[in-house]
Amino acid sequence: MGDVVIQLLDRPATLPVNGTHNERRWPVTSADLGALLRRVAQRDSEAFAALYDATRSRVYGMVTRVLRDRGYSEETTQDVYLQVWRTAESYDPASGSALAWLLTLAHRRAVDRVRAEQAATQRDSRYGAATVERPADHVSDAVISDEERRRVVECLDGLTDLQRECIELAYYQGMTYVQVSERLSANLATVKSRMRDGLRGLRNCLGVR
Amino acid sequence: MGFVACVTALVFGEGATMTQSPTEGADPFDLAVPYALHAISDDERGAVENTLATAGLSAADDFYDEVRAIRETMAAVSAASAEEPPADLRGRLLTAVAADNVRALPSPRRRTAWMSAAAALAVGLVAAGIGISLWPPAQEPSTAQQVFSASDVHTISGAIPAGGNATVVFSRNSNAGVLVMTDVPPPAPGTVYQMWLVSDSGATSAGTMDAKAVAPSTTAVLTNIGNSTKLRFTVESGSGADQPTGQVIAEFALI
Repeated sequence: MGDVVIQLLDRPATLPVNGTHNERRWPVTSADLGALLRRVAQRDSEAFAALYDATRSRVYGMVTRVLRDRGYSEETTQDVYLQVWRTAESYDPASGSALAWLLTLAHRRAVDRVRAEQAATQRDSRYGAATVERPADHVSDAVISDEERRRVVECLDGLTDLQRECIELAYYQGMTYVQVSERLSANLATVKSRMRDGLRGLRNCLGVR
Repeated sequence: MGFVACVTALVFGEGATMTQSPTEGADPFDLAVPYALHAISDDERGAVENTLATAGLSAADDFYDEVRAIRETMAAVSAASAEEPPADLRGRLLTAVAADNVRALPSPRRRTAWMSAAAALAVGLVAAGIGISLWPPAQEPSTAQQVFSASDVHTISGAIPAGGNATVVFSRNSNAGVLVMTDVPPPAPGTVYQMWLVSDSGATSAGTMDAKAVAPSTTAVLTNIGNSTKLRFTVESGSGADQPTGQVIAEFALI
């Protein structure tokens, strides 16, 4: 359970990551994150800081992809980590990795926010572009290696355009699968099938069991 | 291919059904992916959970195992979209957490730590453990909670030359701030540290700290920040002064 995270994040702590050492930001294993989360549940603020440093770029990046607005994204990321502080004791290792728990929580909040904003105002047409964008250039990240990032991008590239479009609309634009089917003028079974096949492809490619 | 995928592929192969009603005849397993990705309406999510609750342990386990795997997959995918958040978010979160810990672990000595009139309200609330709680169930938002949720929240952090660090999180709209000081050396015997909110019209005391109050960390609510442009720390003799007269040990611009 959660093997992919260990596989992706585990590397010897003696290896410099992207040539830049930052002693506060070692790659953290899935087991480490689980241990940090248990300490956070006991109101350990140092563990909270370490958890934040180990996961902030993943959380903020995903939230930003969903919300497409810096201000909203910062507020939502703040809300996510305050919720982590408040509810860390509800994390159950049997239900998955700590990283998946955190990103699920973050995605839920981002989706709630984007739906609330959409209900309040018709979004700009630029939000409608159905592509899985990737940052054109990213700064080196002490937590996530270029190799790991490249591997995930390759797996995303391995999807068909139709599969990627469905996952983009559902996961990154916060649409329900019913809304996705309306957007694409495709029937529900087709949309569900594309989403399922896309996820299966990603899962196999990334080695998630 | 997992159980869910097999079932759904057999029953709901692409184009196999043309229904546009999301719940009509739907097999809950067919919705594992939308469910895991939050791509499902609240009503339909509730319907799926209800169906699973009566579907038997084995069937529910299969569904939630599929959901778990999908969420692990998207957690791995998050490496591709990683992006650094603004730097001051870290200080704001750690300050919020420190402020919350004060509520969780009220210390009797803090009751006497803050003597000035300006800070008396904040002190009483901190000591009683009610004012600074960030997430009290069904209570009025605390001052700290208002600050952290304000749209104009700002965070200022800096080292104090004599040692230690201070972080101020404040909001003009809330007319308040939260100060956290860590690892600040105690003032010399017979003196206190005093905080001042400085504006064009002068300096107003925002509280004092004695040796007990600074170790190892101090959290305080700053009220009535008004048009203050600076938070100044001085050393004053006795239990504090009406106006800043002692040595200035640190000053933070509230911008």
